[in-house]
Amino acid sequence: MTRPTKRVGLGVTDKLRPVLRRGKDRASVLVNLDVDRSAVEAARRDPRAFEALYRKYVAQVYNFALYELRDQHAAEDLTAQVFMRALAGLRHFREQAQAPDSSFRVWLFQIARNALSNERRRVRRHPDAPLDAALELPAADDVQATAILRDELRQALRAIDGLPADRRRALVLRFVNELNTREIGLVLGRSEGATRVLIHRSLQSVARQLGRGRSTQPRHAAERRRAAN
Amino acid sequence: MFREAEEGAIQSDAYIDALLSGHARLPVPLPASMNAPAPNVRHVIRLLERGMPRFHPSFLFEERLAEQLRALAAQGGQTSPAVIVDRRLVMGGAIASGFSIAGAAMWAWRRRPRPEARHD
Repeated sequence: MTRPTKRVGLGVTDKLRPVLRRGKDRASVLVNLDVDRSAVEAARRDPRAFEALYRKYVAQVYNFALYELRDQHAAEDLTAQVFMRALAGLRHFREQAQAPDSSFRVWLFQIARNALSNERRRVRRHPDAPLDAALELPAADDVQATAILRDELRQALRAIDGLPADRRRALVLRFVNELNTREIGLVLGRSEGATRVLIHRSLQSVARQLGRGRSTQPRHAAERRRAAN
Repeated sequence: MFREAEEGAIQSDAYIDALLSGHARLPVPLPASMNAPAPNVRHVIRLLERGMPRFHPSFLFEERLAEQLRALAAQGGQTSPAVIVDRRLVMGGAIASGFSIAGAAMWAWRRRPRPEARHD
């Protein structure tokens, strides 16, 4: 059975140790390394050390799969595929990120995205269960505010469900997995700027679905400036 | 048009970063109202940040997969079809082995010594 978790800031709390390196001009340059570099190198030397990376990211990959497939068993299968492939292909992985990103995490999500595409080609249909029904929302208590939040969240999840796949995935990666826009861009194969706009437009689209399409205040700074002049 | 969208997108992104940083106990001041995204977008950001549920896979699944990864690691990380966890493979394997057993039984039955062929 799936266990809801508390928000713990997955992957965000990692502290980075800047490393002092010598550049070509012999000047010392402070370089921040990928947060997972030491763990990846250890796993390359000894595949048994891969378990540390698995424990760190299993919930994130599982969440991504669950939001896409809306079925616990299907999400487990996909998660298993991702980690098996990652372990088998670790020697092909090339670190590309600088702190505070993790290119290993991006690589895992890229594997997950490819595995999802293969799954979609095989099944050729959208999951039956709507997103808001498939996910167990936090239990409502007697506090009215919580009940309102729950209803609004349900509507928001329905709106997210109706978004094109890339927009939906971008929102899940941003809010559930807490990837930054650069990392999401790498997963989805877009530039950082395009990803940022994609997320912004998705949020506007969800706002419209919630009946909050147009704000009474000017929407953009440019409009605000025009209004001020 | 795209530039305006980009400006709004940068504001939204900074706002999301500020909220998510709170999870890591690294409070980052929220952008000032002049630089914050429009109220409708801000509302959705707060809603999704607070409400989108997160799950953890079951303990049994996590441990079982950890064990399978350990087995794969013991082989030097070289994947073999038998190790990959896929219920379809398990089902396929069961069906295939069922056919194999049935085939072997049929073959053995047809090759059995018949009474009239016996040379006593």
